[in-house]
Amino acid sequence: MTEKKQKINLSITNPKVFEVVKMVISILIALAITLVILFMISDNPVRAIVTILTGPLTKRRYIGSVIESFIPYAFSGLAAGVLFKSGAFNLGGEGIFIISGVSIAAVACNQLTTSGVLHPILCFLAAIVTGGILMIIPSFLKAKFGTNEMVVSLMLNSIYSGVAMFIIRKFLLTTTTSTIGSRDYFKTAKIGYIFEPLRISPCLILLIITTIVMYLIMFKSRLGYQIRLAGTNPKFAEYSGISAFKLSIVTAVIAGILCGMGASCQLLTQTSFYLPEQSLVGIGFSGMLLSMLGRNNPIGIVVAAFLIKYLEQGTSILYFVDRAVPSEIVAIVEGIVILLISSQYFLRGFREKKLLKEGLEKDAK
Amino acid sequence: MGETILKLDKVTKVYPNGTVANRDINMEFEKGEIHSIVGENGAGKSTLMKMIFGIESPSSGTITYKGEEVHFASSLDAIKAGIGMVHQHFMLIPSFSVVDNIILGDEPKNGIFLDRREAVRKTQEVSDRYNFELDVTEKVSALSVAKKQKVEILKTLYRDAELIILDEPTSVLTPQETEKLFEQLRSFKKQGHTILFISHKLEEVKQISDRISVIRNGVSKGTYRNDELTMEQLTNLIIGRDLESDIDRYKTHEDFHNEKAAVIEDLCLERNGKPVLDHVSLAVKKGEILGIAGVEGNGQLDLVRCITGLEKTKYEGKIMICDTDTSGMNIKGRRDLGMAYIPEDRMGDGIAGPLPISDNMISTYYTRDDINTKLFMDNRAIDRISNELIDTFAVKTESNKTSVDSLSGGNIQKVVVAREYNTRPKFMIAEQPTHGIDIGSAEFVHHKLIELRNSGVGILLVSADLNEVMDLSDRIIVMFDGQIAGYFKNARNVTDQELGMFMLGASHQTPEEIGGALND
Ligand SMILES: Nc1ncnc2c1ncn2[C@@H]1O[C@H](COP(=O)(O)OP(=O)(O)OP(=O)(O)O)[C@@H](O)[C@H]1O
Ligand SMILES: [Mg+2]
Repeated sequence: MTEKKQKINLSITNPKVFEVVKMVISILIALAITLVILFMISDNPVRAIVTILTGPLTKRRYIGSVIESFIPYAFSGLAAGVLFKSGAFNLGGEGIFIISGVSIAAVACNQLTTSGVLHPILCFLAAIVTGGILMIIPSFLKAKFGTNEMVVSLMLNSIYSGVAMFIIRKFLLTTTTSTIGSRDYFKTAKIGYIFEPLRISPCLILLIITTIVMYLIMFKSRLGYQIRLAGTNPKFAEYSGISAFKLSIVTAVIAGILCGMGASCQLLTQTSFYLPEQSLVGIGFSGMLLSMLGRNNPIGIVVAAFLIKYLEQGTSILYFVDRAVPSEIVAIVEGIVILLISSQYFLRGFREKKLLKEGLEKDAK
Repeated sequence: MGETILKLDKVTKVYPNGTVANRDINMEFEKGEIHSIVGENGAGKSTLMKMIFGIESPSSGTITYKGEEVHFASSLDAIKAGIGMVHQHFMLIPSFSVVDNIILGDEPKNGIFLDRREAVRKTQEVSDRYNFELDVTEKVSALSVAKKQKVEILKTLYRDAELIILDEPTSVLTPQETEKLFEQLRSFKKQGHTILFISHKLEEVKQISDRISVIRNGVSKGTYRNDELTMEQLTNLIIGRDLESDIDRYKTHEDFHNEKAAVIEDLCLERNGKPVLDHVSLAVKKGEILGIAGVEGNGQLDLVRCITGLEKTKYEGKIMICDTDTSGMNIKGRRDLGMAYIPEDRMGDGIAGPLPISDNMISTYYTRDDINTKLFMDNRAIDRISNELIDTFAVKTESNKTSVDSLSGGNIQKVVVAREYNTRPKFMIAEQPTHGIDIGSAEFVHHKLIELRNSGVGILLVSADLNEVMDLSDRIIVMFDGQIAGYFKNARNVTDQELGMFMLGASHQTPEEIGGALND
């Protein structure tokens, strides 16, 4: 059996090929269902679907907006992916995003440095440290006191958004408008564009590097191996000499750092002030969906984030031409795709029939 | 010929990964017979049983039960039809108590409420009838593998099914417990129940069966009447050749000058206020196998947990591994000293089921230089090593990327043994090392253990299989009630009756005699 060079099996019986085929077919089905819905609500369904699918490409500004807005979501997805892979049901990304926003605002609203390079970096560091430390809490409490990390993390989400409100009101409140938000950042804190027309900022480069690093960590490194073991059977990990406690802290820190990066990208490129009730809400939770869509694979997650943001952009463009189509239609696509790719049964019968034939043929030899 | 209760007609099963586990199997089972199914690891026995019990569905072919073609959608349907099954890998809910597991789905009612007292009384009574010595209010997660096995058996017998499937129920039972179970099976048979029995212990099969069916490589090799088969013929049918007679396993090995691989002194452990280990002292020398005999539950498990560092309760006494005091060390530290451990609970401790074989083959030495580059793990080296181990230990699989939980029970055990073997240990703890492994492969695993011993490894062997302990060990100790009750300097000069007396607490040596376990 050693050194048996196998021809690469491109048929659906190869699990990896099957996974991809399943993904593509899921997306197609979701789009088909969307089309059916469009037929019901829109006078011009074909135009509608064409607009959704190609709209973002029609103007530089549109695709630029996709590129800019998907970045924080991708970071959030990466964070959720690490946590889920390690077997932690920590849903704290949402709160971590919001609370690291406060750190960012605090640094960005103070002229700590006059360097336009150093200032954003300081903001990043503040967010990363905040995220990395606070994300530990649910894992720590679970390891030490056996509390349920899902409950704790959800509770912390509420607490953090309250705390964020408090700090902003008390220390950083804007005086120019009546909304509850931070003052405008100093100009030096803003992240500029490298290529303005497509809104490409250093954040995109950071995301690409981070994705590659996360991929290497998950699939090539010893840490990734430990995460896989502990995520599938914690008792086995312990038996093998892997400290579950240490590992849960390390993964939480990584996830926290990723959230901090995501929050920084969101706040330092898209806005010049921080509104705790708006600026970052929902990104943490979306990350969990993305990690499901991307099957906890860093590259899959980032691609999923891009596609979802692309579709959202498409529907919002459609809204200008066809008011009958609500932008929530994206949520339908998202929901159907997740349902289909996470279903064990979808396409299984088809694959098994092929397997039966192949298996019997091989066996007969 | 009696009346046919169950008939399999050209039953074929292909698993989603393409493995053909059963191929055109035709078999008939008669009402009121004890019918054994035998075959090597991965032959397809469990798969066939799972199809009868509705857990898997046949890819093609038909199953006829009581004259009607059946297509069970799940095991619930099978249970309703009067079929019960004892699973090779337990289907128990760990966080439930023993009672709750046993009565699940068939609760004694008091009006509309669960009659708990009645449930406890009834289950305790059944348990006592088999001398299973279970406390039925205990949580299943706290039980040893042997106890879980007993719960699994009780769960099925409790329902009084008409057709009872037992998939390797005896592999962790002591001979006495097996005998009790057999008595019950014979009485079930008298009442007209049909029993399908799977075991790798051929003496058991010969002892209990009316008829025997043989499966090899997923294909049926026919059904025979027990009395028309000799042991040799049976062996030959199963593995397609005769079993080589034992090559000299006691070849005098090198002298390791009484060096110790592990020393345990005055080990005491209390659990819930009760002493479970009571001043246990022993030494495992380099180049020897020290066997521990004893009825399960007399402290063997606790002893091993203390030595490995998995025990969470604080123990008293001293444990030295390779001349290093291990106090305060966790299992990682102890492994780093050269300890390897084949755990009795292979599904719980020994594998990560959904991960590929390759990942499972290296978990206890994944930081080692030969499978790592500076920054990353060396996937090519991991593939090479895991493929080598798959070959050496004859793990039946398509590739090293197959997930471990889609292997057959015996093959999973081989993965665990292969991995621990490959840690290059200085001291090995082997708990039930051949649990669920077929006769041919068990022989092989024994050879591997002897080979390790001859190269200077000290091995502590714990097994419910008395023959295994007597055959492999150089010295033997017997544990009873948390103490060492007997010590035998020369394992060759002991009989199983003698050991039996100590195992049941009928004999006890003097402290001086027992002291030999540490000092010889
Ligand atoms: N869930 C599964 N998915 C894929 N293949 C499987 C699965 N379960 C079993 N197999 C394969 O089917 C074959 C038969 O397995 P089965 O468990 O029936 O063997 P067995 O005769 O019970 O062996 P053992 O004596 O080791 O328990 C093996 O090659 C095994 O790898
Ligand atoms: Mg089996």
